[in-house]
Amino acid sequence: MWRGASLYSRGFFVGREFTRAGRKVFCVIYFLACCSVTQRATAAPRQTSSFKRAAKFVTDETGRRVAIPFSVQRIVTLAPDLTETVYALGLEDKLVADTTFCDTPAAARLKPHIGSPQAPSLEAIVAMHPDLVLATTSINRAETADALLRLGISVYTSDPHTVRGMLNSIVRMADLMGANEQGTVLVEKLQARLDAVHARMAELPLVHVLFVVWEDPLITIGQNTFIADALRWAGAESVIVADQNYPQVSLEEIVRLQPEYILFTGNHSESNDDHQLGRLRARPAWKALKAIQLGHIVKVDDEITKPSPGLVGAIEQIARALHPDVFSSRACGGSFDVRRGTMAGVFARTRWERERDFCAL
Amino acid sequence: MVCVVSLRMGAYPISVRDIVSTLFNAATGRREEIPVEFWQVVFGLRLPRIALGILVGASLSTAGAGFQALLRNPLADPYVLGVSSGAALGAIVSLIVAPHTVGAIQMAAFVGAASTIAVVYFLGRRGGQLDSPTLLLAGIVAASFLSAIIMFLLTMVTGSELRSIAFWLMGDLTAPPPTTNVLGWLGFLFFVFIVAAGAMYTTSSDLNLILTGEQEAKHLGVNVNRVKFVVYIAASVLTGLAVSVSGAIGYVGLLVPHVMRMLFGTDYRMLIPTAAIGGAIAIVLADTLARTVVAPTELPVGAMTALAGAPVFIYLMRRRMR
Repeated sequence: MWRGASLYSRGFFVGREFTRAGRKVFCVIYFLACCSVTQRATAAPRQTSSFKRAAKFVTDETGRRVAIPFSVQRIVTLAPDLTETVYALGLEDKLVADTTFCDTPAAARLKPHIGSPQAPSLEAIVAMHPDLVLATTSINRAETADALLRLGISVYTSDPHTVRGMLNSIVRMADLMGANEQGTVLVEKLQARLDAVHARMAELPLVHVLFVVWEDPLITIGQNTFIADALRWAGAESVIVADQNYPQVSLEEIVRLQPEYILFTGNHSESNDDHQLGRLRARPAWKALKAIQLGHIVKVDDEITKPSPGLVGAIEQIARALHPDVFSSRACGGSFDVRRGTMAGVFARTRWERERDFCAL
Repeated sequence: MVCVVSLRMGAYPISVRDIVSTLFNAATGRREEIPVEFWQVVFGLRLPRIALGILVGASLSTAGAGFQALLRNPLADPYVLGVSSGAALGAIVSLIVAPHTVGAIQMAAFVGAASTIAVVYFLGRRGGQLDSPTLLLAGIVAASFLSAIIMFLLTMVTGSELRSIAFWLMGDLTAPPPTTNVLGWLGFLFFVFIVAAGAMYTTSSDLNLILTGEQEAKHLGVNVNRVKFVVYIAASVLTGLAVSVSGAIGYVGLLVPHVMRMLFGTDYRMLIPTAAIGGAIAIVLADTLARTVVAPTELPVGAMTALAGAPVFIYLMRRRMR
């Protein structure tokens, strides 16, 4: 191309008009240039895979056939939920890098970062010499996994759409990382907690809720998201039924449907619940919602937004907040760790309110 | 030089010496001596990206120069005629219909661009001739109509595809090529580029005359309709090519031809090759910045071209006015 360009400019300096012959010359040059390009293309060495160790072939959750080394020593995660899973399995020593979004647990912030989940630097990932890169369809782009596989890097993509799917995913990933036992133990524990919640909820009708992903414009969840499934585990159901994962809905529709509770995620609402309630009560359409008038808003821990072990804690929190009567016999916040202190606070507050109301009667 | 800088810069630190030795070893066939990571970074990531950047930048700005002459309108760029909207629509349809098929996006984007081009071409004809104002209007109407359809379809797309589309709409050079034979793929793209840009270049002296006025050109013996047809098809193919591999990268097709006009004059025999080179440099630079500014996260290259392109353009425009 460059050689051609210099010829063009020489042609420019020589004459003002292209002759017929000149055009022919150009055609020949294009042809030759094209031939040389294609020839070089076929002659040049192709990239071969660079698997250093013996590997097994597995099919990941998106249907890709991927080769994963038998012994995984260096792991890179491309999403916060995956980082959390790795920590929950006790494999943090093998985690060599995560994303700039990974903040749970706090130690994950100190790991080297390879960029954001949507636009990670492929070079930075290569530089970490990973044996295994964990990706998820819940936040990563398919192109990232494709590009890494093209470089001969092992990528396993998880695709959880339900709470159970998340647990199965954990078992599979634990197996790949050589932590089969830890995975089984962790999932059994989480399943036991879910069953405990479910046992208390079995007889109760589902509470109709609005899960607010974003307030302005109002974005909620579709029925096929893992959040919708998590809500069902917590004895709740979204008033909006949509095939789209995160649909934008009209507030009028919400006023018509009148959800019993409104759920906000922690990252998107004010630190002070009363302040938020006051603000919503002042807004035109929101104040027409009975849930707002009654103060039926629940601030859910951010863990609800991630298909990771912490999701179970968020399910417990929602279940307690929505069904305080069923849970009131149990000590509040007993099973929460320090990180989930806020949840215990939420629960405590709703209980206090109920007790206050009770006294007022 | 830009290529060397671009090769050097990135989240993975490699010194110029290592790059030179890597390239040298590769050229002399001693692949075993190259560390695997160097090979992956240099040949797997940076070189294909630079090659793609050169190709896309050259295509877009050549197409821009062509459209500006064809429509005799300084605001014309590859996207004014609805080509990018058509390509975007194709890409989105392919993501909805066949989200996991490799290469489907590129194919669908190209088909979308090509069919938009055909429709706009037939709408833009008046009395059997390509009429510039009509063509421009047809293009703008097509673009807004297609954008409306895109908006409608986007509400039907679920989460993970939406992210791909968002990046695609902003312009993205990171998407892996549809085949494993990267060099073959790039070679094929360069082949198309050379054919289309060459076709446009053969008309460049006629374009100079058309710029002074169609009637005048006709009187001077230029087959205006034929020239218009060739330029239109060539510019559209270039746009379709660029958009299908990299998504919608804005500004380059508009700005680079103008910058080159300010620097080298309006002679199309000079403008087309300089615009191609300038566009290539602009995209490679923008992509290098996009990779490094907020490293390790990567910015979409489309955002970078607009961010860096607009001030440069204004500076050159003000300087010329003095």
